[in-house]
Order: sequence, then C-alpha cells, then structure tokens
Amino acid sequence: MIPLRIRIDIEGPHRGKRVIKLVSDLAKEVLTSPSLTSGNCAELVATFPSERVFKWGDHYIRIKGNAEDEIVGDVCLFNFEKGYADRLIRGNSKHNTLVVTEQCDQLCIMCSQPPKKTHHDQFHELYHACLLADSGKIIGISGGEPTLYKEELFSLIKDVNKQRPDLQFHILTNAQHFSVDDLEYLKSFRGNVLWAVPLYAAHPVIHDTIVAKAGAYERLLASLSLLVQAGAQVELRTVVMQQNISELPDIAKVIKTHLPFIQHWAIMQLENIGFARNRWSKTFFDHSIDFSGIAAAAAYTLASGIETRFFNFPLCTIPPAWRPYAEQTISDWKQRFDTPCLNCSVQEQCGGFFEWHPSARSYEAWGEI
Amino acid sequence: MITFPLRFRELDSNRLLFSNEAGRSFIGSRSFLDRYVHDSLCESDKAFLSENGLAIDDADKLGALGYLTTLAARLPVQKQIDYLILVPTLRCNLSCSYCQVSRASENAKGFDWSDDTTHKAISFLKNLPISSHIKIEFQGGEPLLRTDILDKVMREVSKERPDSSFVICSNLSNLGPEQIKLFQEYNVVLSTSLDGPAETHKHNRTKNEGATRRFLDNLDRFRDLFDGERISALPTIDLTDPPSTESLLDSYDALGITSIYLRPVNHQGFARKRGLGLDDALSSWLDYYRKAVDEIIHRNSQRSKNLLEEYSLTLAIKRILRPGIDNNVDLRNPAPLGLDYLVIDYDGKIYPTDEARMLGRIGRIDLSLGRIGGELNYERIRDLNSQSFNNIDPDCQHCVYQPYCGSDVVDDLSRYGRIDIPRHDTYFCRRQTDLFDLATSLLCSKDLHVLHSLCAWLNLPELPDQIIPVHNDTA
Ligand code: SF4
Ligand code: SF4
Repeated sequence: MIPLRIRIDIEGPHRGKRVIKLVSDLAKEVLTSPSLTSGNCAELVATFPSERVFKWGDHYIRIKGNAEDEIVGDVCLFNFEKGYADRLIRGNSKHNTLVVTEQCDQLCIMCSQPPKKTHHDQFHELYHACLLADSGKIIGISGGEPTLYKEELFSLIKDVNKQRPDLQFHILTNAQHFSVDDLEYLKSFRGNVLWAVPLYAAHPVIHDTIVAKAGAYERLLASLSLLVQAGAQVELRTVVMQQNISELPDIAKVIKTHLPFIQHWAIMQLENIGFARNRWSKTFFDHSIDFSGIAAAAAYTLASGIETRFFNFPLCTIPPAWRPYAEQTISDWKQRFDTPCLNCSVQEQCGGFFEWHPSARSYEAWGEI
Repeated sequence: MITFPLRFRELDSNRLLFSNEAGRSFIGSRSFLDRYVHDSLCESDKAFLSENGLAIDDADKLGALGYLTTLAARLPVQKQIDYLILVPTLRCNLSCSYCQVSRASENAKGFDWSDDTTHKAISFLKNLPISSHIKIEFQGGEPLLRTDILDKVMREVSKERPDSSFVICSNLSNLGPEQIKLFQEYNVVLSTSLDGPAETHKHNRTKNEGATRRFLDNLDRFRDLFDGERISALPTIDLTDPPSTESLLDSYDALGITSIYLRPVNHQGFARKRGLGLDDALSSWLDYYRKAVDEIIHRNSQRSKNLLEEYSLTLAIKRILRPGIDNNVDLRNPAPLGLDYLVIDYDGKIYPTDEARMLGRIGRIDLSLGRIGGELNYERIRDLNSQSFNNIDPDCQHCVYQPYCGSDVVDDLSRYGRIDIPRHDTYFCRRQTDLFDLATSLLCSKDLHVLHSLCAWLNLPELPDQIIPVHNDTA
C-alpha cells in the first residue's frame, strides 16, 4: 500500500502548516511553472536508504521512509508540529483526492468513509495545493459531502480555474444541495469539472433507503435537472448491491429517458471498508456468479449510445466479452493483487482488489487468466 | 401527461414502427394506433409510453430535459470547416467505364493545380478559423500523379495543424518509391477502388490483363508494407453487369477488409449518360443491396471474428439507436452545404460537395461557391442551406424515419433540376426508405444469425432483450 502520510523532521522552530511541493530541480521547475517559488517548493538534495533530504528556503527537511517511494513531484501539506506531511497531490499518480469535509447528510448503508460530526476547514491549504499541481492534472474532490460547504467549494474551483485553467476537477457529490442560484457557477465550471453523482435505484423508496435519507431521490433528480441546464459534465454512479441489483434494468431505462446527457454511467462494485465491512454479507452482490443483470442493463445503455463502464470489477470476475468495459479504477494506493494475480496475463490492465478486500470474502469465481 | 407526437409506418399487417421527433421509437399494434388517434389510450399504453420516454408527466422536469437533450442531439449545431476534398489534378491514367468525374487524359494540359492555386490552397488550409486539426481527402483524377503537390500540402498542413489526417483516393495503378514515401511520411490512409473479382475490376476499370495485374500487385505490396493497415477499399457496382454478391465479398474477404461501402454507379459524371432508367436502376440496386446484406449476415454467422459489415447499413442502424451520429457527410441532418466541408477543384474553384463539382463539369448546374483565394459566395451557400435539412419538409415531417434520415439537395438538383418535388418520388427518399426498412426489420429480428451480426456492427458484447422496445398491448 502506498503511504499517503509521511514522517518528516525539520530543524528549528516551525509552527503551523504549509503546502510545499517536492521537486528535484527547482531552477528548472520555476522556469516552466510560474506559480512555483523557493517558498513553496523544497528541492531534493540528498537520498539515503531510509530518508531523503530536501532544502526548503534555508532549511532542511528530512523525509523518512523508503527511498523507493516516489515522492518527488508531490504536493504535500506539512504539519510541522506533528511531524508529518500529507501527500495531497501525488505527482506520479492519477488518483488524487482532496477530502474537503468528512461531514455528510446521507448515511449510505455501504459508505466506505462513514461521515464524522466535525469539520476541519482546509480550503485555504487545498487552494494552494491545487496551484502547485503538475500541469493538466485531474484532481478528485470528495468527502463526506463536499457541497455541504458549497460556498467554499465553489470559490475554490473558481479561484483555481482562474489561475490554473489546465486543471480538471472530478467531484464526488450526492447532489442534494444544488439550487437554482448555483446555475451561473455550474455553467462557468462546465469545461473543468466532472460531477460524479450516485444513483442507486429507479424507484424513490429503494434509493432513499440505501442512502438513508427520505426525499433524497427527488432532491437528486432536481439537482440533475440543474446540472443538465448548466451543461455540466456528469458521471452517474451506481454501486451494485443485493439491495439494488434488480433495479439495474430500470436505472438503465431512466438513464436513456431522463439522463441521456451524462458523460458515462459507472456501474461499481462494493468496497469492503466502512459500513460495508460489517454489512458485507447483506450487501455484497457477487457478480462473478451471476453477471446477467449487469450485462443486460449495460447492453441497454450501450446500445443507446450511452458510455457505460465497470468500476472496481476484477477482470477475471466478468465474462471475457465484457472485460474491455472494466476500468482500472481502484486507486493505486489502495490497490492489491492476490497470489493468483501474480501469474495473471492481464494484471497490467486489471484494477485488482481493494487493499482491504479479504480473500475469504472474495468472488466465487476468480483467478488468473 | 404529454405524449410527444408520433409518426408511424406499417411493418406488417399488425405491427407498426412508431417514432417521435427525437427518434425514440417502438413497435406497436394497429389497435394501439387506433387508440392513439382517437385519444383513448389505456393505462397500459400510458405506462409503456412513459417508461420509454415517449410521454412525460407534467411535473417531470428531468424527463422533459432528457427528451430535449435527445432532440437537440438529433439536430447538431454547425461546425467550422474541418474537412476538405482536394482535387490537385483531374488527369487520370485509367479510364473507368463509368468515370464519375469526367476525367482528363493522363497527358492533357491545364488540368492540374497551378503553383498559384497550390499556394493559395495551402494558405487557405492553414488559415481556416478552426483551431485544431483538419481532415483532408485527395481525389482526382488520380492524385498520385502529383505526389509533389500532395507532399507540399501534407507537409505544410501538418506543420501548422499537427494532428491532421489525410486520405489519398487512388486507383493504385502506380505505386513507386515516390508514392510509398508519402504513406511513410505522413498520417495518411489509402482509399482505393476494388469493384470485385479481377474480371469485374478489369471490365470496369483497368481494361486489360496487365493493368489489372499491376493493380492487384500494388494492392498486395501496399498491404505488406503497412501490415494490412492504413487501407480501405470500396466497390462501385455497375448494375448493368454486377459481380455476384458472393464473388464481390470473396474479393474483400481475401484482402481482410471487413467494412464494405456498397455504392451503385453514381448518377453524376459521365456515368449519367449510360445508366438504366431511374425505376429500373433503383429496384435492381435495392435487390442487389439486400442480397449482399443477406450474404454478409450468412458469412458472419460462420465466424467469431473479422465479421463483415456494410458501412451505410451500420450507419443507418446506429443513427436509429444513437442520437448524435453525424460525422458522415453522406447521411446526416441537417446536411449543411459549404459550411463545414468544401471541395477545391483542379482549377481552384470551390464546391460544396464532390457531386456538386461533377454537376458543374457536365454542365448540369453551376454550384461553385467561389475560387480559392477569393471570397466565398455566401448568398449561394445560404440558398443551398435553406432546404438542407428534412425537419420541415412536408413529407419528411410525417415520416417515421425522419430523425435518422438526412437530405441531399445536390442529388435532387442533379436528378430533377429542382428540390421542391414530393419527397417520396425522389431517388434519395426511396433508397433511404428501403435502407431504413431493412435496418428496422433487422433490429426487430429474432434470428440468431442476424443478432450475431448486429452485435458486431454495434460493437456490443451482447444485445439488450429488445433493441427497439415492443409494446405488447392486449387491450
Ligand atoms: S487474477 Fe488478479 S490480476 Fe488477474 S484478472 Fe483476476 S484480479 Fe485481475
Ligand atoms: S427523405 Fe424520405 S425516408 Fe428520409 S425522412 Fe424524408 S420522407 Fe423519410
């Protein structure tokens, strides 16, 4: 597992937090990206087996840990008092997600990151982190529910867009909080933001039960109306569970009739963590035993020209003809391959398993191809 | 509840195809039609219509927006010019029996782009308002007679617009080092003609053994050089003496070319003078076409890869099912003229389409839009576009295929000298109607062989239960 938090050491009294980018050649970096300065970059000066030394202004920062980990290029949030840094935007990764809050107004039965009561505002730091990101990065934003802090979120995107129009945001939202007043913002974000919105059923009661919020379905549809009016880019997400597997054909129909504007439909497999871990036997749907419902729904949307993809589906668990539709979506830092994977011919294209996906609870049918 | 207005067409004695302006369609019965026209839909009708996005509740805002999105996708906005057909020479080293462009002989003078035309064309291509890459197709005559011009154009355009792509339409009678170099140096694909078995090809095009062998050798050599990639071929079917559909497909199978675009001899050009009468030509074409499609389905039923397709049928099927398939200038709606692609002829004249160029050449009607280096004739462009879409045509408006179909103003002008004729009397409409009838019957088919082919044509791992929804009303 790739560590997202690293231990640091800095001599002298430093307080508070700082966003700093780790670079190998400061002079060169500054030439190509004007937002980089010696104040927000630390340059690699020495590498030892168990630590690396970076020069930040007049100070030296030691970063502990395996020198094999590729941290150069990362934008990190340094917490000097506590002696660690969070790798917010990793240079070498396609999977970077900024968590803007851990609060949420839904309580989905399979939530992988169960919400917390309190909120630590970091928008300021996140803004600075975005400005330092490599050119053309896609930056994920998630939560909790990011739009609970809609004003701050919109300002963040707006301000970053102004400075860094090359960046794209991929924002996960339950779409419960958009209002007509947001239309102008949503329109202006058209080119830079993909909204990832979950829809779990075509029937209000089933959706509302899954997200544990009455009226959520209606609210979601209203928000989707706003998003299409704004010309926003939308990724529709459906996590497949025992609770909604029979809903898939109807969801497919609703997509064709009501949501033909989406960028694509992501049919997702469950992550064995958070609430889902304890409710695994009551939620997990093993598609390796019966793929027919998923296939029928996907065939319906694909035939109508709607992009449809499988997220978090190990390749060996789906019929060969459907494998090209599986995306390598499990983030690199939580991706795991099991023993059979080592001999598998398609490991390079496969997303594998979530780090915390226990073999015992694995798919009925899987193994090297 | 609002039901979006339906058009319909009989498929057989009890089944009808219904569709609305957004192209959402279904199969219904005669009794449904009765209830629909008498405004007495029953509950199961209403449920079916609303489930399939053919009717919406008054309060269903997202449903309305979804419908409008689909409708809008059926009416693509105009793009900027990003596709050009260039005719650097009208000269040709063959003299095909139906030559479509009224060629000039290989040694004739004054049928090539002058230096001035070349210069102006290149600067035109570089300065097009579109910011990104463009697509250029070289036609002729035989464009490979002027490798120097091709080289210059591709070099200059690629410099200015890096990802641009090129097609050279060649009869492949000459494939020397100079010609090969072009394909090695640029992002260019060869499009050639292959009319079927050697005998047919010889009869139509190459005329003698030697030239036929040279063509076939060059074809092989090209495939060797580029691993079978970067080549497409299409046949022109001369209905007065067509090859059997089997032998035609054999010749494509032998080359490993799986997508075949079947076209009858074009009405334009010298071809016009020797064709059959309209009705005969049309019905023998439709017969031939259907036979070829049957043969393709039959061949496909025996294989699991390299399945064949007929290009225009696949296009028609995709347009039925998927809004927004508009990248083919032969079938789209609106079908704008002079707005997103242009033809630059050997003499520097600009035309809206290749057919329009031929009409000028045979003196039928001058549809030129100007001359390279000068202003485009926007008044003429506007006139041509006043009817270059089918939405308000009095016949198309009521046609179940309207959202999938297109229009062809130039073909109408070519055949009838006018465009205001009843649609159903036109060649274009009759051919399209038959094509869409065929596509619909295949989409409703339960025949496993047909489904196997459809899967491949639509590039799907499997098909949904009903590709076109069926309203099984028992009421
Ligand atoms: S064996 Fe492992 S690598 Fe291979 S397809 Fe299955 S999960 Fe992926
Ligand atoms: S041209 Fe004919 S087939 Fe096409 S939409 Fe018009 S009436 Fe229908």
